Amino acid sequence: MKKEKITCKEVMKHVCESLGENLNDDKCVEIRNHLDSCPNCREYFKSVEITIECYRKYNVQMPEEAHDRLMKMLGLED
Amino acid sequence: MEEKQLIEKAQNGDKKALAELVKNYEQTIYNFAFKICRDKNYAEQIMQETFYSMVKSLHQFDYNSKLSTWLYRIVANHCLMMARKVRSRPFVSFDDDEENLFEEKYAADWNTIPYKVAENEELKNILDNAIQNLSPDYRLVFLLRDVEGLSTEETAQVTELSIPAVKSRLHRARAFLRKEINQAFT
Ligand SMILES: [Zn+2]
Repeated sequence: MKKEKITCKEVMKHVCESLGENLNDDKCVEIRNHLDSCPNCREYFKSVEITIECYRKYNVQMPEEAHDRLMKMLGLED
Repeated sequence: MEEKQLIEKAQNGDKKALAELVKNYEQTIYNFAFKICRDKNYAEQIMQETFYSMVKSLHQFDYNSKLSTWLYRIVANHCLMMARKVRSRPFVSFDDDEENLFEEKYAADWNTIPYKVAENEELKNILDNAIQNLSPDYRLVFLLRDVEGLSTEETAQVTELSIPAVKSRLHRARAFLRKEINQAFT
């Protein structure tokens, strides 16, 4: 029986499941082969990575006063 | 001083060591709380509650996990409690429209999305809005695993979810956030 070709939708779902995980199992080899030949899925893969990157880079600095209030609240001020 | 020594001293009542531990983690905890609730006042409140809990229960810390993992667990709980208290908008439900998450349209040209998140208020608003449409349980998994860089196992430990449950939430959260940003730039 001929194996069904993997669809773009499956690839997208798998990309979302496996990003950052082990990419060497059988399924992943298939996925990578698909990515090599499908610009649409490559674009998707990249856009998920950019999404994560955006949230990683969006950080806030704790105000100095918040530190002071915290230490005071805990009874740990110098 | 090594963290282990600091913890032991703090557990034995050394205030200096305790203060040192708090200082080492306050920025991480504040930032994480902000990323969950997207509000600086709530973030500070959650941070205070987190360290208050830490001080109260540090004697129970038993090195079965990293101190950071243990703290993530405390801050995660406080974030969820806060979210329940101030819940302001309905969250996206994945039961009916999971299929739509994987739309194949590419409206936004991702290469033009400004990479300098720090300076772009419009992008910040988009990111805040997108993540607030996720229920806090999904936010937690996404932030712990993808943003804070915990392993899948550690994320499962912190959230008390099974590993398949972590993976399922993670892939939905990723796909959902990607889609929201994609649409915002259309
Ligand atoms: Zn494809």
